[in-house]
Amino acid sequence: MNVVDRNLGRAIGPALFLAAAVLVILLPRFMGEFRLLQFTLVAIYVIALLGLNILTGYSGQISLGHGAFVGVGAYTAALLSLGRPGLEAFQLDPPSWIPLGDGMRPIFTIPIAALVTGLFGLLIGVPALRLGGISLALATLAIAVSFPIVMKRFAEVTGGGGGINLNLPETPFGWDISTRHWLFYEAWVTAGIVFLAAWLLTRGRIGRAWRAIRDGEVAAVSSGVNPALYKTFAFGVSAAFAGAAGALLAIETAYVNPDTFPVGISILLLASAVIGGLGSLAGAVFGALLYVFLPIYAQKPPIFSFEFADQAPGVVFGVFLIVIMLLLPGGVAHFFRALVVAARTGRFRRRSRTSELA
Amino acid sequence: MKKLLLALLGVGAALTVALPGAFARTEATQAPDAVPGITKNSIVIGGTFPLSGIASLYAPIPRGMEAYFNYINARRDKKTGQRGIYGRKIVWKYYDDGYNPGQTVQLTNKLILEDKVFATVGALGTEPVLAVRPLHKQRKVPQVLVSTGASYWGLQYKQYPWTSGWQTDYIAEGRVYARWILQNAPTSKIGVFFQNDDYGKDYLRGLEQGLGSKRSLIVSKLSYELSDSSYASQLSRLRQSGADTLVLFTTPTPTARAIGTAKAVGWNPKQIVINSVSATDQVMAGAARAAGQAYVNGAVSTGYLKNNTNPKYRTDGAVKAYRRIMANYGPDGININNTFYYYGVAKAYDFVKLMYVAGRNPTRAKLMAATAKMNWVNPYALKGVRIKTSQTDRFPIDQGKVVRYNNGSWNEISALYKGR
Repeated sequence: MNVVDRNLGRAIGPALFLAAAVLVILLPRFMGEFRLLQFTLVAIYVIALLGLNILTGYSGQISLGHGAFVGVGAYTAALLSLGRPGLEAFQLDPPSWIPLGDGMRPIFTIPIAALVTGLFGLLIGVPALRLGGISLALATLAIAVSFPIVMKRFAEVTGGGGGINLNLPETPFGWDISTRHWLFYEAWVTAGIVFLAAWLLTRGRIGRAWRAIRDGEVAAVSSGVNPALYKTFAFGVSAAFAGAAGALLAIETAYVNPDTFPVGISILLLASAVIGGLGSLAGAVFGALLYVFLPIYAQKPPIFSFEFADQAPGVVFGVFLIVIMLLLPGGVAHFFRALVVAARTGRFRRRSRTSELA
Repeated sequence: MKKLLLALLGVGAALTVALPGAFARTEATQAPDAVPGITKNSIVIGGTFPLSGIASLYAPIPRGMEAYFNYINARRDKKTGQRGIYGRKIVWKYYDDGYNPGQTVQLTNKLILEDKVFATVGALGTEPVLAVRPLHKQRKVPQVLVSTGASYWGLQYKQYPWTSGWQTDYIAEGRVYARWILQNAPTSKIGVFFQNDDYGKDYLRGLEQGLGSKRSLIVSKLSYELSDSSYASQLSRLRQSGADTLVLFTTPTPTARAIGTAKAVGWNPKQIVINSVSATDQVMAGAARAAGQAYVNGAVSTGYLKNNTNPKYRTDGAVKAYRRIMANYGPDGININNTFYYYGVAKAYDFVKLMYVAGRNPTRAKLMAATAKMNWVNPYALKGVRIKTSQTDRFPIDQGKVVRYNNGSWNEISALYKGR
């Protein structure tokens, strides 16, 4: 391989990112309102899945509680964007030590929700150090299961089961674009920023440390990597991304309530991350596409008899998961990576683990 | 570092080129006067229902509605000779939101934006409906005859004029149970098991309001989450509290489970009270399988529709019509004794009536105006129940009877009462 090939090889990643960016920018020209809504949700779940990917795919910590992080972000955004005056309309009276203002523009709640959720993630990350593998999975599952219950328990802050209706979204600053387009770009720009952040983190020393810990903690320690630091940090980053996704979700759907984040969300997110491809940032995009489109379009598949048609989305998801695990252990993203590598090197190699090019 | 700069440069270039052109407003493609969802020969309506998941026992409701709409589309109106409503066939689209309000938002947007429905009808679930109530208000799309008895719809019609309810509300129903207990078993020790959301809490509120100064009859009240897999702990504690009356403010699947668990923890309450939503034969059959027929016989509830499996109504005109409609226009291979199909048919009947009130050239505003002018008899409801609303009374059904369960049917044991 000569220098030209190598540089071309290195350029593929950014080129793809560019192409995707242009595609996203031009999408609204060709799509109706509902489709745009769906793609806005895709952006939101790309952000959430990037977080999960970093936690489970890069640093090797299994998390069945990601939905709870998304929920924390959503509630934070909801409470902040309404502010105390807005919450009074729901007869809610959070304790005065919670620093709620008078309501703020939804867009500013996104970074704050990310920060708050990130701190929450760090808090979870510390005790998680003592757990590994299945124990960690169970502990995070417990968080996911208890999240709706805790939200209902503190109903005077969260609105309990009735939830909180946010103000319906509208284009800020009087800009002349439709609200639907504004939400679409808001979500995708955030996704782009998060993607770049994830890329910077994973390609550098931090990413190498994560992968070293994932692949063999003892070996990592003996190479001078401090696992406690990096694992906790992974939890924090993962939670921060999920928090940003949650905030966008709250802004988009304009409603949060404990049953919007049941334990099923955490499980579906993990399944989507795995199908999309753990250890690959592009995998988050495939996972998000699956997560958003599959449940709706699997509702009335022709081959299912009447009796089971209702359960079809769950079955289809399950079948997908099994097929991908058998045929493409690295997920959909790795299939495409293998294609790229084959184009570059003229060889087709099947990879059974996440590649070091990640 | 160079890769990063290159990437950022590229993104920046793409943005400056593409962004201005991409900011285009979506243009309306319909004629300005057209009412969405209404054409010369069709009315498109939609709804969201839990077809899968913990609340999937409600799945027959939209199918019952579908059967009735199919019947209306096929029959000729006696007065006008036209099929459908004034010659317009009803196109009924419904989706599965799994009782998750987040899904409801996405699906309702699909109904309004993509399917361009005229109105949403009978959407199920207090929280799912709450989630999309502001959306309906913002887009001025009618959200009518919702399948939940939360008191919000009847009480908050001024703030949310595009939303209307249908069935008896939970608070009023809770008060009826209180009154019945005070009249028939004033020394009861009541243990309440309720769903930890607006559904369960509304019922509890009604019960406590109805008991008034005798609120202390409630010796214990414990809740559960929809995601809980076992209620053993709560039901044991209810038993230990010394309660002799078990009041269940629970949705269908949890009701059957709770009764089975109560028996399993060794409790034999003197009286079981079940909320009307779950007082269906399907649920009771499930409870009887878990706890035995003798355990569930004698349970008390309320109802506003005829009990379609009660032998007393075997020759009733409406129940016979229901069976005919389901047989001819409903899906194949279903159990038409399932009360939720009957509920769907009864509701669809009222929707069709509403559309007639809205007139030959319906608009969304006319449909909402019609919801304040309801005044007729629904043949599927109990005799004497009148579907009635006015500018100030937005509870279409507020009457019912106390009913008692015995060996497969619910028998009416009280006179018709007025809940509000």
